[in-house]
Amino acid sequence: MNFKHKYFFLFPGLFVLIGILIFPIIFVVRLSLSGWNSYNPGLDYIGLENYIRLFTDDPRFWESFFRLSFLSVTTVILQYVIGFALAHMVWKDIKFKRFFRVLFLVPMMTTPVIMTVIWRTFFHESLGPVNDLLSVFGVAPKWLTDPVIAKFTVIIVEVWQWTPFMFLLLLAGLLSLPKEPFLAAAIDGASPVRKFIYVTFPLMAPISIGAIIIRLIEASKIMDTVYVLTSGGPGTSTETSSFYIFIKGLREFQMGYAASMSFTYLIIMIISLTIIAKVLTKVLLKE
Amino acid sequence: MKTCLTAIISSLMIFSPMAYADKWSDQFPHIKATGDIPGDCSYEKMSKKNYKGKTLKINTHAIPVMGEPTALHAEQFEKLTGAKVEVTHTPAGDLYSKAMVPFQAGQAPYDVVFGFSNFINDWKRYLAPVPKKYMNSPEMKDVTKSHMGVSSWDGTMYQYPVDGDRHYLKYRKDVIDNPEMQKKYKADTGNELRVPRTWKEYAQMAKYFNDWDWDGDGEKEYGSAEVMKKDDLMFAAFFSRSVAYAKNPRTPGGFFFDLETMKPNINNPGFVEALTDWVEATKYVPPGGTNFGLGDEIGSFGGGQTLFSFSWDDAFIAAMQDDSPIKNKVGAAPLPGADKVWNRVSNSWENQYNQAPYIVWGWAVGVAKKSKVKDMAFDYLCFFSNGANHQADLAIGRFGVNPFKNSDFDPNIYINSMGWDPEIANSYTQTLLDMEKSNNRVFPLRVPGVFEFTSAVATGTSKALAGQLSPQEALDEVAKEWEAIVSRVGKKAVQDAYAVGVKMEDNKL
Amino acid sequence: MNKLYIFLKYFFIVVWTVFVVAPFLWALTTSFKDFQSVNGGVTYIPWVDFEPNLEGWKVLIKSPAKGGVDIIEPYFNSMFVTCTASLISIILGTLSAYALSRYTFKAGFVKNNDITFFFISQRIMPPIVLSIPFFLFLSSINLLDSLTGLIVVYIVLLMPIAVWIMVDFFNKVPREIDETALIDGCNPYQAFLKVVLPNSIPGLIVAGMFCIIFGWIDFFFAFILTFTEVQLLPVKIVALNSSVTPWWSLSASALVSVAPLIIVAFIVERYLSKGNLSGAIK
Repeated sequence: MNFKHKYFFLFPGLFVLIGILIFPIIFVVRLSLSGWNSYNPGLDYIGLENYIRLFTDDPRFWESFFRLSFLSVTTVILQYVIGFALAHMVWKDIKFKRFFRVLFLVPMMTTPVIMTVIWRTFFHESLGPVNDLLSVFGVAPKWLTDPVIAKFTVIIVEVWQWTPFMFLLLLAGLLSLPKEPFLAAAIDGASPVRKFIYVTFPLMAPISIGAIIIRLIEASKIMDTVYVLTSGGPGTSTETSSFYIFIKGLREFQMGYAASMSFTYLIIMIISLTIIAKVLTKVLLKE
Repeated sequence: MKTCLTAIISSLMIFSPMAYADKWSDQFPHIKATGDIPGDCSYEKMSKKNYKGKTLKINTHAIPVMGEPTALHAEQFEKLTGAKVEVTHTPAGDLYSKAMVPFQAGQAPYDVVFGFSNFINDWKRYLAPVPKKYMNSPEMKDVTKSHMGVSSWDGTMYQYPVDGDRHYLKYRKDVIDNPEMQKKYKADTGNELRVPRTWKEYAQMAKYFNDWDWDGDGEKEYGSAEVMKKDDLMFAAFFSRSVAYAKNPRTPGGFFFDLETMKPNINNPGFVEALTDWVEATKYVPPGGTNFGLGDEIGSFGGGQTLFSFSWDDAFIAAMQDDSPIKNKVGAAPLPGADKVWNRVSNSWENQYNQAPYIVWGWAVGVAKKSKVKDMAFDYLCFFSNGANHQADLAIGRFGVNPFKNSDFDPNIYINSMGWDPEIANSYTQTLLDMEKSNNRVFPLRVPGVFEFTSAVATGTSKALAGQLSPQEALDEVAKEWEAIVSRVGKKAVQDAYAVGVKMEDNKL
Repeated sequence: MNKLYIFLKYFFIVVWTVFVVAPFLWALTTSFKDFQSVNGGVTYIPWVDFEPNLEGWKVLIKSPAKGGVDIIEPYFNSMFVTCTASLISIILGTLSAYALSRYTFKAGFVKNNDITFFFISQRIMPPIVLSIPFFLFLSSINLLDSLTGLIVVYIVLLMPIAVWIMVDFFNKVPREIDETALIDGCNPYQAFLKVVLPNSIPGLIVAGMFCIIFGWIDFFFAFILTFTEVQLLPVKIVALNSSVTPWWSLSASALVSVAPLIIVAFIVERYLSKGNLSGAIK
């Protein structure tokens, strides 16, 4: 095909993106080599000092990174499974189809900063409805003050908020599937389970990979939820990388150091997402 | 001179609560209780200024605490001077970064920025000092010594005083002063039930009154509500508990650090004892209490859920609101002390009673150096805290404006305009006044990179509260972190800045 | 077997519905409470458990000098910024996605997939450290505290999503249909507009919806990059979060801020079903 055309399609978007981002990205890299902080704002040059500090003297960053990996992988898997199940359920004929389709989308549209405040009252251990209702059964989980349960509370809120994302992407995928393979399967008399495994799922694999990758990226930025629910507590048990970077950057104003953490984080994420994408492609598309 | 003025101002208030139907109070119902009070920035004086065509931009706290009075006085200021005032509201945790990002980028999008007094070291290079004219005004002369100190850096005032803040103890009077409860408590524990003088007493009472319905409202009550959530305010609660054990009036030269060597004191036995107490306290807070931020603390004590609370005024004021079921059932008292205090020079405990008020940081406001309308900005702030506005603001609990002028410590203000019991109003003003008079005060840490230090404290103490580390281990970790910060920032810089605070603590300023 | 499946299906849907709705119901009842009915113990039903009042809703339209936040102007600001940025992102993103789906690019080791990944990787960076560079960038082109400035930043946030989603959807539209169109005498742009695009409506709808949502709920950039002239809805609502957390007005505002998007959701649902044309393509 004609060469000129393809560039006409690609370049407007690409150049706008690069045009807006080039300065900020270069600035962040430069920032990470400086000691910019609250009392000494400026792009002085301190070499790799921030990186040395990060790699040799900051176990908290790495702890928070592993915690983040656990949280984001768990939430994304849950979101994918539940989202797929829901999409599959309201795909074909079901009573009140339109109502459910819209309802399941709503959580995603709430502003996290505000909605998490409501979740906080919801799980409030003495003034919230959850423990009040559970007291009928004589249990009172420490939703926000137990180091282990608090992690799951964060997961619950994240799953609530972002399962709709998976749901919508997968539902749209299901709705745009070609009809022929299903007709063929029907003629063969395949059971619903076999139909799902051999027809639906393979057809949905490409969009699934896309959805999982984008959710992994977004889930890793988890920030407002942690900040409002627990501020990373109890202790450091719900602190994630992005929250830790937030504390170092906008709270303590160690901008140089935060930039070096962000940049390191960016590199690690790009590498691991590439690997995850490769693995997913292999497993799901059987390439 | 000063006392004379104080007397005049307070006499104005006492004898004429409703009598001032002057032309200003007709126009501005906010000040109907007092009418305009003469002064350098009174309604009368402001109405003579003409700022037509000029715009004043302000960043203040969220509504209503501080945010509402800022907006209200902005509206009044617009009417009086013809200026245009634009106000934005920002949650407390974000005030620092909201102003700091543009400051560091060399800009001043706001003429007036609200923040906390402990930002002063980081902000002062971007703020304009308060001009002489205002320093000499009668309103300014009325500000207490502590709050002059908190607003100034080594004698130069950068933050215009508009509010006073400190930590003190709040307790349920209907329990502590109740003869039946006293008898019961004595019978069960062998001790007197009284306003706790030490943190150990506090703990014992809180534990005793934890997890049962002692006020007969059908809901369980608990011992104490405190800020334990790992956020920006947690460290302040910890220092409030530490001052009794670690601020020794006989060892001047630094509470947080040893000023001479800049070695952190934070892991000495005084602080460790306080943190041990605090870990114990997780047993007598309401369910979920270890995740309480300031808002939860206010809600919990103000809603009648706990026996004790200690921190800023808000919880007390919330409890004393008109619609509160515990109005006039709460009392104010100084922070508890301790029966022993650590002497870091002799490296030993001194077994004598010690109590130290924590003049914690509070609301502060400055004018940006790069502002093009500095005169108007200072006029606005002066107007904000003029006699009439200040008294009207004090009487509205949700405004979060608390006493910081000598004339504010008059119980009649609270009796007349807020309907407090005289006894409670007396104990409230007396508590605040005693803090001003004390010679063993602790001021907030105000050194370069202050948030790095306080954030390290929050992380460390939070780990101890969650049981991840023992108090000693946690504070050792904090001390190590503090040393690292000091060497990063530069020992000299931190030392010079800290010396200013120590001077105040050692009553030399 | 079939009955069990249907039972499980409805059971699961009901459970999920309860889970989705519960926080909203809690927000709804909380929005009618005041300080005492929030802090005096757990209550559920107005008039029975507590005396409802409208204060939580009233503060949303009162002026700040009277203790409210007046969200009306920010509401329209948010709508304007979100819609404009989404529209631009969708247009640019769709074009790029089409190129990445239909043509082969190669520059050294960089191939199509790498370019697609480059787009989406722009969303990985934690926004915190971008605050200062974006601030300086917008200030250098004089767009701080303006609607245009926010739109510029939001394009960066939203376009990667549009590209990422559209590439997947274009990949599913069979190549034969553009080829047929080209043979029939269309130029590539006509083929794209008249043949490919109408067949990708579900994708466009989904991408558009995500752009709108991500624009609408952003707090951070709207917070850092504006001062007094321009306020977006989340920033304005958070201005209520004072020392005493006003559960009631935050609850009311959560409901108010989600309302317009529910309308969008209905539209999306409608087109999603209608756009199911792929089956018709041979």
